[in-house]
Amino acid sequence: MKSGHLLTVLEVALLLLTALFLLQALQGPHPESSDVRGYLVENGSHETGALNLVTAIYLGYRAFDTMGEIVVLLVAVTGVIYFAASRERKDEEDHDS
Amino acid sequence: MKKTTILDLVSRKLAPFMLLFGLYLLSYGHMSPGGGFQGGVVIASGVILLFVAQGVGTTASLFPFRTLSLVEAAAFLLLLAAGLAGLAAGAGFLGNPMAGVDVRAVPRVSMILVYNVLIGLKVGAGISFVCMYLFREGR
Repeated sequence: MKSGHLLTVLEVALLLLTALFLLQALQGPHPESSDVRGYLVENGSHETGALNLVTAIYLGYRAFDTMGEIVVLLVAVTGVIYFAASRERKDEEDHDS
Repeated sequence: MKKTTILDLVSRKLAPFMLLFGLYLLSYGHMSPGGGFQGGVVIASGVILLFVAQGVGTTASLFPFRTLSLVEAAAFLLLLAAGLAGLAAGAGFLGNPMAGVDVRAVPRVSMILVYNVLIGLKVGAGISFVCMYLFREGR
């Protein structure tokens, strides 16, 4: 019971600390405009045709990065199927023996 | 586990709208918040709601495992083909082949629309597949 209380206090303290850091980060000066940022804001929608700048970046300028994410998902699905199927094989062998 | 009437009814009424909203997010990702990944996950959550409430067997007759895995693989291959189309048009791998075409003839955004729809189908099919595959009972 005692250690449970201590854990709760620690968790609350950690959350408050995180909130403090976030507050600092949000109140601080926003990143000053760099060349890349200015270019993207100015030409992003025109060059890719997408009004949504986020989409313009992740499917226009960084499409290769998106391709990597797609491959990650493909590998994850493949892994799930592989491990589930191998466990089933093991179950069947256990039943047979 | 006992299934309540509320869960049964709500899931059946809500799931089509979740799938529709997912498709909306896919097809308007270039204009409003949304996009392939988000739309795909919303579609998958619709499928997940269906099989949590109705059982994997019923849902699998609507979204068969074979179809889901085929959609997943086909969308990936089509995505690669779309990337190679950019290469063929001289814009580089995954480049926009519409960049050289007159904007009034073919909107430049059409390539992003294609990417978004393909990614959304792939993510939706993949996540639905994984969740249904792990939740299926009795083999």
